[in-house]
Amino acid sequence: MQKFISQQNLNTLLDKLIAEGKRVVAPRMNAGTVLYEPLTAAAELVTDQLPRRSGKEAFFPLCEDIMSYRKEGQQVTLTDIDPARFPETVLVGVRPCDAAAIPVLDAVFSWDYKDEFFLERRRKTTIVGLACTQADDACFCSAVGLSPGEPKGADLFLTPVEGGGYSCETHSDKGEALINNHKDLFAETNGEKALPLAQPQTEAFDLQKVKAWLDEHFENPAWDSIATRCVGCGACAFVCPACHCFDIVDEGTEKSGKRRKNWDACGFWKFTHHASGHNPRDQQPKRYRNRIMHKFKYYDDKFGQTLCTGCGRCIRLCPVGIDIAGIIQEIEKQVKVKVE
Amino acid sequence: MTQPIDTSIYAAVTEAIRSEAKRILSEGQVSAIVGYAVARRKGSAQPIVISDAADVSKLIFTPACVNNLSVYLTKAKKEIPKNGKIGIVVKGCDLKALVGLMGESQLKREDLFLIGVPCAGVLGSVLQPDTELTSDTIASKCRECGERLPQGCDFVPSVTLPATPEQEQIYAAEIARLEALTPAERWAYWKEQFSKCIKCYACRQVCPFCFCEQCLCDRNKPQMVETTPRPAGNFAWHVIRAMHLAGRCAGCAECERVCPMDIPLNLLNRKMAKELKELYDYEAGFEVNDKGPLASYDDKDDQSFIK
Repeated sequence: MQKFISQQNLNTLLDKLIAEGKRVVAPRMNAGTVLYEPLTAAAELVTDQLPRRSGKEAFFPLCEDIMSYRKEGQQVTLTDIDPARFPETVLVGVRPCDAAAIPVLDAVFSWDYKDEFFLERRRKTTIVGLACTQADDACFCSAVGLSPGEPKGADLFLTPVEGGGYSCETHSDKGEALINNHKDLFAETNGEKALPLAQPQTEAFDLQKVKAWLDEHFENPAWDSIATRCVGCGACAFVCPACHCFDIVDEGTEKSGKRRKNWDACGFWKFTHHASGHNPRDQQPKRYRNRIMHKFKYYDDKFGQTLCTGCGRCIRLCPVGIDIAGIIQEIEKQVKVKVE
Repeated sequence: MTQPIDTSIYAAVTEAIRSEAKRILSEGQVSAIVGYAVARRKGSAQPIVISDAADVSKLIFTPACVNNLSVYLTKAKKEIPKNGKIGIVVKGCDLKALVGLMGESQLKREDLFLIGVPCAGVLGSVLQPDTELTSDTIASKCRECGERLPQGCDFVPSVTLPATPEQEQIYAAEIARLEALTPAERWAYWKEQFSKCIKCYACRQVCPFCFCEQCLCDRNKPQMVETTPRPAGNFAWHVIRAMHLAGRCAGCAECERVCPMDIPLNLLNRKMAKELKELYDYEAGFEVNDKGPLASYDDKDDQSFIK
């Protein structure tokens, strides 16, 4: 289904959804930083900046309680979190790089163990994507097979048009339902011309060749030159739309507390630290190698696609300038050298 | 009003760094040099460790050379070999961190070859590294910098530092603003800022003084600080860090620069520095002190807190 919605009607739609009690999560300013967060009013929506963190947290929050415990005398009570309490959500203004990561996460969270927290939120969420009209030289969605106009992952995809407003294209029943439930706010399309989309400059990677090199080079001096300077923080993983590792911690007192699921990152030394004291990834380059391997080999081995959507956040935010797109280009060069 | 910052000396500084690096590497004076190199994005720079004189042409100095490289010389960064003498490119602010590390017996002066950089300032943020250095884009720390020429180095390129325009002192102004608030208002301010913390620990990982073998906040037997990125744990983490750095922080502001959530962490450190200046007339500098102000006692120390 193709429709048109004006900016004013989009705002009206969001305000109506909020009034209906839905959680409307969209890019908004929080203490100077744009983040995907629940809106209290449509006027808070920010459409001209890529949020600092990705949209994954609408399904996979930074931190969530998964159980609570209470001990009174000899009586221990465990209380599950009922996923039924998760609110109906509309995730709005999701960039193609963030939206495309959501099916990538779906595969992981519904593979052998069905993560009910993720899946219930996912079931209750409608995703409204937004095409990109701006890119910088850290953006590389087009290098990993996506594009600034790619609707993958979105239920409804908006493309800004000349003169304001958006052309809307549905990509699922959820997207159609959103339009059908608010028909008066959408108009028929009338030959609106899309604004010129962003043009990321990074050339397309040959992901098969990159993977073939990774298949053969677990041990290679290149890892040292790539990541000796990695300082071992979790910034890259935490701003990534596709990274999905988490840790389970119990926090509280002996009387009561919570079991929580928190984001984790393979860059942390503690990530593979065994209770015995042994750490198989005992140096930072081995930890960073895992980041590349997981994104461009392991995930592909298991699910047949790449665990990177080219948003460029890790490039912009790495404290020491580690550039994943540059690394993949270097690997491609190695492949070429080998072939020649 | 936006004023340009004259960085025309950086080309000559780059040339001088390269020739000195070539000399000390080929003469075998150092085993490696930690410096800055060009990166892929336009205008960007990244830390690099070179050990071959043939690689000196990779070294640069530009307004995007924001990192405090001294973090790589600490015992926390085991990947950088610490064999023999190591060369390091330092700005004045970075040198203060090295001096602090020497005072804490983490480094020995004789194991270092210091290549000091006459510095007119660096960018406050390298999210978009291809940014001209102006009075708007310069790092807040550079606005208050009194140490544009590092002292006591083994080599400093001989260039004439350009005059820098008088600039608004952002930290001083912001600290004054926060001090004027009521405790409840200040609490609200930090609560909002810390609500953004994601516990990525980038602030800790880039800090030259966060060299603990195991950070208190990484312990779980017993757990000392809530590790979860929630208000209580976030508050505990940032306040513990500020306190642990009091009297040690050299003011490089790397914690603030690297915070992916834009939390103004250096305000905490500047406030601590201000208190130490007032209480003990102490500030980070180029003189190695065996004992920092909070690691020593003097009967002239302020005792007004004893009531």
